[in-house]
Amino acid sequence: MIRLENVTKQYGTETVAVRDVSFDVTKGDFVFLVGPSGSGKSTILRLINRQERPERGEVWVAGRNINELADSRVPHLRRTMGNVFQDYKLLLNKTVFENVAFALEVIGKPRHVISRQVPLVLELVGLAGKEDRFPNQLSGGEQQRVSIARAFVNRPLILLADEPTGNLDPATGEGIMALLDEINRTGTTVVMATHDHRVVNAMRRRVIQLDRGVVVRDQERGVYE
Amino acid sequence: MIARITYALRETWASFRRNLTLTAAAVLTSAIALLLVGTTLLIQRAFENLLVQWRGDVEMIVFVRSDASPDQIAFVDSSIRQADTIVDVEKLQYLDKTQTYEEAKRIFIGDPVTLSLLTPENIPSQFKVVPLTEDPALVRSLSEQFRSLPGVEDVALAEDEFQVISTLSQFIRVVTLVMSIVLLIVAVGLIWNTIRTAMFARRREIEVMKLVGATNWFIRIPFMLEGLLQGLLGALAACGGLWVLNSAWTNGVAGFKPGTGISSLIVPSGFLSGVMLSMLILGAIVGAVGSAIAASRFLDV
Ligand SMILES: Nc1ncnc2c1ncn2[C@@H]1O[C@H](COP(=O)(O)OP(=O)(O)O)[C@@H](O)[C@H]1O
Ligand SMILES: [Mg+2]
Repeated sequence: MIRLENVTKQYGTETVAVRDVSFDVTKGDFVFLVGPSGSGKSTILRLINRQERPERGEVWVAGRNINELADSRVPHLRRTMGNVFQDYKLLLNKTVFENVAFALEVIGKPRHVISRQVPLVLELVGLAGKEDRFPNQLSGGEQQRVSIARAFVNRPLILLADEPTGNLDPATGEGIMALLDEINRTGTTVVMATHDHRVVNAMRRRVIQLDRGVVVRDQERGVYE
Repeated sequence: MIARITYALRETWASFRRNLTLTAAAVLTSAIALLLVGTTLLIQRAFENLLVQWRGDVEMIVFVRSDASPDQIAFVDSSIRQADTIVDVEKLQYLDKTQTYEEAKRIFIGDPVTLSLLTPENIPSQFKVVPLTEDPALVRSLSEQFRSLPGVEDVALAEDEFQVISTLSQFIRVVTLVMSIVLLIVAVGLIWNTIRTAMFARRREIEVMKLVGATNWFIRIPFMLEGLLQGLLGALAACGGLWVLNSAWTNGVAGFKPGTGISSLIVPSGFLSGVMLSMLILGAIVGAVGSAIAASRFLDV
């Protein structure tokens, strides 16, 4: 589903954010990218959704070398993946329902699809009954659920999560992890960047550990150490 | 498809209201620029009424009496052609009474009283003379000579009549053209700035849109529509202004003494509609260009 081959990404001439990284994620996998702050986790996620392009190496998604993808095809690539961030990136002037509906609206989905899909996904993430709230009327955990709903409403093949529990207390974070696990069980490939030891150790999934842009460990059913 | 259209319209309107001050400035500037363009075109056209008989470097007109015999006309013609060191014989033009009457309809467009006294029968015919020489004294002495020919009613010299107006009209044309262009560029810039600001205000939305896979065109179109709308609104205001100006002028001019020439300085209503249509098109172009530049340059937020 996702394959990186000897990928190197530099910012300017000094910073090498990712250095000669290779790994392969099969469909339906759940993968943690771990490592200290600045080790290149976010950069890898941005290489996968083509917010960045590598200087060297290839990034393959769903059988396609996405570096060779024309700019005009990038929106279609992005429709096959959902993104979740530490800071949720919700639109504060829109309600819960509107935030999720927005993701379908802007890719041209018709109204009847929106009015069917959005309640379903809000139910799935446990926000039924809170459709009309605004983000600032929700707890952090609930806001993150909205952002997961938005990422998942189009049933993507891949979910990319960048420190989704970073702003949450441990109990709330566990809830979010349970939700991501549930989404993973529907067949969605999940790649999650985190430096949260507890989360990684509790899940016992594949762990790819980075240090200054280099993969130093790639382990099935791993822990953070 | 319908969902996309409603989305675009809703977003355009919302953004329009959010940036009311900037929008007003952009619309106002477009309106002033377009009004100037429109006014220039009207002024040019009005002056043309006066200058229509002097078009094409004509410097002298020999008017032949309406009751002149064909022999007399032929004699005037050959006399003019004999002066081939001063007159450009190739460009010598004869307008018979019917043609002269057609021309008079334009010259006296704002002076129906004078026009009503003229008919294709009682109007003089005319020879339009383009000189070869640059020397006005030579042309003038020639005119004295023609004046005494049988059947000639009068000889008019451009120098006496419309040189000043012609120069004035050219000067006005250059000045207003330059001002219009400058103002149009300013209008494009203001629309560009408004759209850029609108996009900056919505950068979070744009970021989310890009992440969930909205196409660039989908993101751009509401902003481009907004710019287009600003240009069109400006043009609409300018059309209204031009209409008011033109009506006031036409009414005012009607009070002038017939035959002074001032009353010729009006335009037919068909021409006015044509100018308004061009202004609308120009306004749309200004809006589209300004917003297109903004939308393509600031999508990477
Ligand atoms: N847009 C950018 N411009 C310049 N340097 C960047 C940029 N993004 C990340 N970096 C640098 O790249 C390295 C990796 O960053 P990042 O991928 O964000 O790490 P992580 O997500 O593991 O904290 C860091 O040294 C960071 O400073
Ligand atoms: Mg990061």
